[in-house]
Amino acid sequence: MQVDIKKLWALFATFFKAGTFTFAGGLAMLPLIEKDVVEKYKLMPREDFVEYATLAQTLPGIIAVNCASFVGRSTAGFIGMLVATLGAISSAFILMILATVLLQFVPQEGRMVGAFRGIRAASAAMILSAAFTLGRHNLKNALAIVIAAATFALVLFTSWSAPLAILLAGLTGLAYQWFKSTRTEQAA
Amino acid sequence: MIILQCLKLFYTFFKIGMVGFGGGYAMLSMIMTESLKYAVTIEQLADLNALDLLVPGPIAINAATYVGFLDSGFWGALAATIGVTIPSFIYVSLFAHLVARYQDSPLLKGFLAGVRPAAVGLIGVATVTIASGVLLTPGMSVSTLLSDPLGTLSLTAVAIFVAAAVANIRFKVSPILLVLLAGVVGAIFIV
Repeated sequence: MQVDIKKLWALFATFFKAGTFTFAGGLAMLPLIEKDVVEKYKLMPREDFVEYATLAQTLPGIIAVNCASFVGRSTAGFIGMLVATLGAISSAFILMILATVLLQFVPQEGRMVGAFRGIRAASAAMILSAAFTLGRHNLKNALAIVIAAATFALVLFTSWSAPLAILLAGLTGLAYQWFKSTRTEQAA
Repeated sequence: MIILQCLKLFYTFFKIGMVGFGGGYAMLSMIMTESLKYAVTIEQLADLNALDLLVPGPIAINAATYVGFLDSGFWGALAATIGVTIPSFIYVSLFAHLVARYQDSPLLKGFLAGVRPAAVGLIGVATVTIASGVLLTPGMSVSTLLSDPLGTLSLTAVAIFVAAAVANIRFKVSPILLVLLAGVVGAIFIV
């Protein structure tokens, strides 16, 4: 297969830029990626990109990486998928290692101890805030509340791992849907 | 030894990627609860969340790199990051057509409807795990929380936690600003 270097460069540049200049997660990257993929490099029509972006959010995994994989694969096959993904994650990887190393040089004494403890308390509060934000949108019926509470209790108080709990929750939702649809069929 | 540890990291993060529903914070919560098996402290996990605000890129990549690096250096960071990335290749290559075809199927919708509230529960677990580590007076443990709450909890840290949560949830104050302010307040009031 003839690999088009120009296309590979476009893929890398698009996702590298999106990965370098967006903070707080992959969802924020999508509009930036859309602009480059559709308008600047004209790799695909907008409808295709929108469908990929939707699928990227439905499938499990990192949204930005899912999106890079879809766009890369449809543009330049397997190599395209690798190149686009490399672009999406390399800044995060390099900068995070730098940040981790630098953090270890910050002296943990005197006033800095207090500063760190304050930052950590606020950091815990931001996680609570994420639970609130997501909960506001997703805890709208009794089943959802039961699933959230059961997952919370299982992972916190038993030896259940988080990945296992989330699978069980998905299967519960699926079983409930299946049960509901067979009942309406019988009623009809 | 390092190779074995890297394989372990790869496997943990691969699992998280395979069930990584519900966006960045849900995956971050999974990473936080699973990372306690590694050479990472609760304080370091709290720092991770603050670093996420400063370092660009996908939250789960930041988290995998951080935890992998703290546990096993550069190769650990690489193993964890590759582990959390590969599931995307698998899903996109093998299941994309399937998911596209069944995107409107009630069963897939049912599955996702079950996964989303579970993500909320997981973020709740991460909150409790991190808070129980960073809101205590140094040297105390959660075991004395009920018998001696005032001696166990650091009141300043709890005050910062509550104030930051209310400011962000109720008044939408930016997380970066809150974390910086908390650092200043901590430097002044926590001795």
